[in-house]
Amino acid sequence: MKISSKAKLAAVLMLGTMVLIAVSIVWADAQVRAAVAQRRHSAEIAAALNSMRMVTFEYLLNRRERARLQEQAVWQRLERLFETPVGLGSNAASILASLRSQGEASHRLFAEIDAAPAAAGATDDIRHRFEAQLSSRILILQQNSLVQAEQLIDDAGIRIDTTQRRVVVIIGTGLLAMATLTGVAAWLFRRDVLAPIARLELATREVAAGNWSFELDVGSADELGDVARHFDAMTRALKDSFDRLELSNRELAGLNKELESFSYSVSHDLRSPLRSMDGFSLALLEDYGDKLDDEARDSLQRIRGASQRMGRLIDELLGLARVTRAELKIQAVDLSEMAQDMASALAKSQPERQVRWDIEKGIIVQGDRALLAIALQNLLDNAWKFTSKVAEAVIQVGTRREDGRQICFVSDNGAGFDMAYASRLFGAFQRLHHEVDFPGTGVGLAIVQRVMRRHGWVLGAQAAIGQGATFHFRPMEHDDERREQNHPAG
Amino acid sequence: MNEENKTILLVEDNPDDVALTLRAFKRSHLMNPLAVARDGVEALDFLFARGAHAGRAGAPLPTLVILDLKLPKLDGLGVLKALRADTRTALLPTVILTSSKEEQDVVSGYSLGANSYVRKPVDFTEFVEAVKVLGLYWLALNQIPPSQTP
Repeated sequence: MKISSKAKLAAVLMLGTMVLIAVSIVWADAQVRAAVAQRRHSAEIAAALNSMRMVTFEYLLNRRERARLQEQAVWQRLERLFETPVGLGSNAASILASLRSQGEASHRLFAEIDAAPAAAGATDDIRHRFEAQLSSRILILQQNSLVQAEQLIDDAGIRIDTTQRRVVVIIGTGLLAMATLTGVAAWLFRRDVLAPIARLELATREVAAGNWSFELDVGSADELGDVARHFDAMTRALKDSFDRLELSNRELAGLNKELESFSYSVSHDLRSPLRSMDGFSLALLEDYGDKLDDEARDSLQRIRGASQRMGRLIDELLGLARVTRAELKIQAVDLSEMAQDMASALAKSQPERQVRWDIEKGIIVQGDRALLAIALQNLLDNAWKFTSKVAEAVIQVGTRREDGRQICFVSDNGAGFDMAYASRLFGAFQRLHHEVDFPGTGVGLAIVQRVMRRHGWVLGAQAAIGQGATFHFRPMEHDDERREQNHPAG
Repeated sequence: MNEENKTILLVEDNPDDVALTLRAFKRSHLMNPLAVARDGVEALDFLFARGAHAGRAGAPLPTLVILDLKLPKLDGLGVLKALRADTRTALLPTVILTSSKEEQDVVSGYSLGANSYVRKPVDFTEFVEAVKVLGLYWLALNQIPPSQTP
């Protein structure tokens, strides 16, 4: 049974019991009112009967006209009382009926006594005996009536007592039923709600702690049973995807290892032949240079140039791989200071060049110092290189705010490039200029791009031919979270 | 210490690199006799006078060992480890001259007790310069530890 159905049933039972108690209270109230009315009515009848007895007695003694009239008045009062409708029990109703017939009988007898003197021809003795007989009958009747009126009063009292006892029993039973119902509901709540919730809580804690094989395995068909079954399904799904993830992680680790050994081979084995090509070309030039013509010497120089260039390419390729592999150590990095140092080094490398450096102070970002240094060096090297043919070169490192977020940029007023080819900008070995104009391997921006990607930042570029280029990136501002993840110890 | 015989042991498997190193030595006017071992095991045989080099027993140790890292049989780091583990060669000046500039190689080279780590440049002119500086430092300037014989 569903928990909601149980709750509904409990509410209905509770409500029913309460209605029962309320109805019994209303009924008892009516009963008591009726009984009180009956007692008052019975007392009035008793009082009237008593008066009747008194006037009858007086009339029989003195035969006064006043007593006869009084008897008439008392009888009328009694008749009214008998007519007044009062809610009575069957017992009381029969008593009242009997009282009425006795009253009527006694009134009839009184009338007979009254009429007796008029009976002509009867002797005094007979009249006296007749009257005495009538009188004693009236008095017996009236005595009986008085006893019955007392019974009627007692009956009202009994009626009140009975009602009270019944009400006590009904309310007591109702309260007992409600208490039992509450107890059962509490027990059911514990069994069907609290206990499963505790199990669920335990399960969430176990799963959160990494125990993926934890199963609730609840059999109940109610809502919490459904929740538990869904929870188990979710845990199984999570476990599956984590297993898959672990598998692909292992595969990735294997691939990474292969890549590393590949890099090692590239670094070691591919460079050796290049060295031989360069070395023996030079040996030829040095030892037999005088026997070779210009064309032969030029060819040997080209072999040397190509070997050295390939050496550089290999080195840059390895640099790119290193950027991808390196572990991030997030800390506060002062890009301004870094840029200033690099600018000084570049200026020293070609002291004949006139370049105005415009570096904003205090650009501090959260990132990996080594990787950001590589990226910044590449950006500044590019700016330096592409402004080599500009008379008044300006290289700018700064920040601006866009949508309330800090954007860092490196811009120059150098050769720039056509934005139509911007999509090729960040690919490895992609060049937008001829090597003759601006030497380079085309790996620099690919490295910058990877460094940014490792940080979760986005690298963008804006340029026009002959009007310089701007490279910008938006450092994360919620790096605190990342740092927490990388260095839980702080 | 035998002043007359400042032998250099070159541990290098690539004959091109051997020839280029020889040429670089010649161009740097380093006249020291040069012994060549073509793998790690041969290098240790030479130093400890065993196997094919058993006849060297009693001969002085080389003044300098130039060691490539990537070698057949036993690699350069293995050779270095064996050298440093033996009391006779524990102090022998050993320079790593290799193509690799992998950080892990540099770190393991130094932590195993290499005296220098030099990377072979592709440009032969730079290579000659590197060998020249190396020879000048290790063979002329540097005060080497007292020699021991195997």
